[in-house]
Amino acid sequence: MVLYNAPTNKMHVDEIVDAHVLVVGSGGAGVRAAIEASRYGGVVMVSKTIAGKGGCTTMAEGGYNAVLRDRDSVDVHREDTLSGGAYLNDPALVDALVREAPERMADLVRWGAVFDVTEDREVAQRPFGGQRFPRTCYAGDRTGHEMIMTLLDRLDATDTHLYQEVSVVDFVKDENGAVAGAIALDRDGDVVLFRSDATVLATGGGTQVYDISTNSAAGTGDGFAMAYRAGAELIDMEMVQFHPTGAVYPYDARGRLVTEAVRGEGGILLNARRERFMERYDPDRMELSTRDVVARAIATEVLEGRGTNRGGVYLDVTHLSAETIETRLPVMLEQFLAYGVDIRREPMEVAPTAHHIMGGLRITPECRTTIPGLFACGEVAGGVHGANRLGGNALAETQVFGKRAGEFAGKAPARSGRIDPARIDEVTRMLGGFYEGAISPADVRKDLKLTMWNQAGIFRSAPDLRTALGHVRRLADKRLCAASTVNLLECCTVRNMCTTASLIVRCALLRPENRGAHVRRDADVATEPATSPFSHTYVSLAREGIERREVAA
Amino acid sequence: MKTITLRVSRFDPAADAEPHFEEYIVQVNEGARVLHALHAVRDEHDPTLAYRYCCGSGQCGSCAVQVDGKPVLACMEEARDGMTVEPLALPVLKDLMIDLEPVIAKIARICPAPDAALPAREEIEAIKPFRDCIECLCCVSACPALQVTDFAGPTVLRQEMRLALDPRDSGDRITDAIEKGLFYCTTCKRCVEVCPKEIDIPGKAIEKLREIANRRGLTLPRHQEVARLVQETGRSVERTQPTFLEQVPEVIEPDGPVRGEVGFFVGCMFNGRVPQTALDAMEVMKRNGIRVIVPHDQVCCGSPLIRTGQTSFIDDLKKRNIEAFASRGIKTVMTICAGCGATLKNDYETPFTVKDVTEILTEYGIELPSKLDVRATYHDPCHLLRGQGISEQPRELLRLGVREFVEMPTQCCGAGGGVRSGVPEEAKALGAKRDECVKGTGADVVVTVCPFCEFHIADCTDVPVKNLTTILLEGYRKKDAERKGSA
Repeated sequence: MVLYNAPTNKMHVDEIVDAHVLVVGSGGAGVRAAIEASRYGGVVMVSKTIAGKGGCTTMAEGGYNAVLRDRDSVDVHREDTLSGGAYLNDPALVDALVREAPERMADLVRWGAVFDVTEDREVAQRPFGGQRFPRTCYAGDRTGHEMIMTLLDRLDATDTHLYQEVSVVDFVKDENGAVAGAIALDRDGDVVLFRSDATVLATGGGTQVYDISTNSAAGTGDGFAMAYRAGAELIDMEMVQFHPTGAVYPYDARGRLVTEAVRGEGGILLNARRERFMERYDPDRMELSTRDVVARAIATEVLEGRGTNRGGVYLDVTHLSAETIETRLPVMLEQFLAYGVDIRREPMEVAPTAHHIMGGLRITPECRTTIPGLFACGEVAGGVHGANRLGGNALAETQVFGKRAGEFAGKAPARSGRIDPARIDEVTRMLGGFYEGAISPADVRKDLKLTMWNQAGIFRSAPDLRTALGHVRRLADKRLCAASTVNLLECCTVRNMCTTASLIVRCALLRPENRGAHVRRDADVATEPATSPFSHTYVSLAREGIERREVAA
Repeated sequence: MKTITLRVSRFDPAADAEPHFEEYIVQVNEGARVLHALHAVRDEHDPTLAYRYCCGSGQCGSCAVQVDGKPVLACMEEARDGMTVEPLALPVLKDLMIDLEPVIAKIARICPAPDAALPAREEIEAIKPFRDCIECLCCVSACPALQVTDFAGPTVLRQEMRLALDPRDSGDRITDAIEKGLFYCTTCKRCVEVCPKEIDIPGKAIEKLREIANRRGLTLPRHQEVARLVQETGRSVERTQPTFLEQVPEVIEPDGPVRGEVGFFVGCMFNGRVPQTALDAMEVMKRNGIRVIVPHDQVCCGSPLIRTGQTSFIDDLKKRNIEAFASRGIKTVMTICAGCGATLKNDYETPFTVKDVTEILTEYGIELPSKLDVRATYHDPCHLLRGQGISEQPRELLRLGVREFVEMPTQCCGAGGGVRSGVPEEAKALGAKRDECVKGTGADVVVTVCPFCEFHIADCTDVPVKNLTTILLEGYRKKDAERKGSA
């Protein structure tokens, strides 16, 4: 069965590509960064997938938050974001987000995006959870797809060189310890070395480390893991958003996102007794409470025996007109019809699903990470959303911080071009080692996902987390086996998943309080979000811990 | 869990001269999709299986493959026991992975004008259906025109229309669309059938782009001649022999008791080019007790004009035709031409019901003919199969009329969309492909129910091509002869 029989071949670099700015990742943030950086020339973008088909921007359904109306204000958007984020957000990053989201929306419209508009020829907006003004702009329920198609049109007009189906394995550094490029594998398993003056990491999230996840197959946390190995510091990795509404069946479709727009358009949640249970959890905001609250409410209903036989609750839009459902939620209608459920006539069954990692690389508002030469934007960066992300803020984040990362990376000075050769040897040795491994990466992946879901999911405790950490570390030590050159990538991916999972669990152990999406059933410190003495958890090769902050009494 | 068997096309360009099939037995969950079956093959049998996937929810268009010959998204199509999984009909990189970058590169990008403002609501609403495209390339894989021309593909034309509708775009979309093969589309709608987002590219993009081309004087000269003919004579076919309408009275009474009554919309092909077939059909109606009313003031339905984007006087044709039947109080209008039928059903708003002859005959039930001693195959006219959703009725009738019925793969013969007149070499090449299929069945006769298909396929094969009603009539004549012989 194993076809590759040349493990004696020492892996070597097959191709070298030089760039001023190397952008890793082709989702909304990466493409936006490449567009901006192209103003400074010499941009190379590396995409693990066919550009536009990977990542989660393409799948993002609901919308993009931006203050566009006189009755709304950036101050209210800022306060909604901070309050929704349990005041763990980095205020400087939030400030950039809310101030620049409208400008970045205007860029998209100027470049040809087909957002829904009102009779008065304004970009239409709808209500999303945790916000006091309906400020979520949308293109039906395929908003992210609309954005990525527009961004790719724009990217095509620049002189960016695009490498598709080429996957970065690790960063390389120069003699001063600055990131100076990356080593990647192409579709055939050949090794490509990219050398750059500045590198933008925009690899998105990684909730594929959980058994039940909304992420695309590409959402494996590669960026967190590669940056960690390169010495970058990450913050708040315990903050994993469980989206309240994921599909429940059939088994293989479990976790598939049911957009918040369903509730934004008026969908209601009912338990198996047909009680509108949100009345007991957040009577003011009901279904449009923040995602952490709604996800815990649904999980609690199911745990306490009021769920459906399949372990979910009902999400019902049958009171809406067929026309509203067809025009506002066409993707939902189509997806459920494919599984034999007509949402115009019967309710959906939903349960929480791992959706978004709020934590990530520690960045400045200029998107600089803690290592020179490396910039980060989009989901791989941390701090914007704090302990819970508002629906609609992620797409805005991709544009605001993608633009910033591209700009400051573009302005970065030229480097020597020298690269530490020991690092290249180390990576090629690691790749070669996969031919001598013994364990199927598919088995490790499956085990890891179940471990994370069962022991590091919505409700957490120190004993569970310690069990999870021990198991994840054991999995990370397994010697993965590549059946052929094209399977090297799968080994690298599973290795990254193990690293990302361990970062999540380590940070979860570091935070003793309940905060936003992070719930410790054994929390011995009761804190209020606004006055909690705790700030970011942090983790790097060098240190880990939790920051304390001064809070006005 | 359940066990299924699947055949998967394998191809490694480094080792194989050509693709081959491997059979796998895998365990999958209830409700598993094709993608999950492929995962099972990879995880349980062969980790080297190459295939693309990403979102798993029908939104990214990475995972399109052919299952039992039909392009589908692997993540949305339910896995079936015994299925065959092949790559799309595009150049293969390895196993199920095709080279999609060259096609995507043909999809035009917007060129926004510097002063571009937000479009109005109606403009946005018009563009939106075209934005659903996820560039999975199912349509490109399935399009017959691509097999014989350098047509860029349905989704490429979809994008041209999306851009033509956007006031922000500054490109010349019509010139671009013509270069990419605007006039190559036969409007067979196979692309709509396989599109996961059900985008009506022929109807909403190609015919509309042809309309804009027409307003700019860029319609093909042969198509312009047809439009001139319709405008001058009310017919798209020149009179070279006595027409059907000249040979029949307004009312054709049945032989026996009247079981029903229909109006007959003749169509230009039956009226002017193959009137004998229509006369045969009238004999079949008489035999089965159906009174046929034939308004002599009917004209061309307009299909050749709509398909080629020449719609300036189409409303006048519609008005005249509706008036011709409505004024006689006709409740049901019968068509024998698939093109006319699809046009009356889809492009008209009629105060009467429109039915194909095969619908009428199966609904009333027919007198059994004697079976002709032939092996027959059936060619699905695109405008009947996809234009009207009719596939079973003609087969049911044909089985009554012949000794043996054999299926052949369905594909456009090339005679739709103005291609036969506008791009004759394409129509000829598609016709030749039909000939190969016909020969493959070993049939003695090809049966169809569309005069365009009948006329065109007859040009492309030496196997006789007949209308279904002609077969029935021959069966009745045989029956009569047998009776006479035994009497």
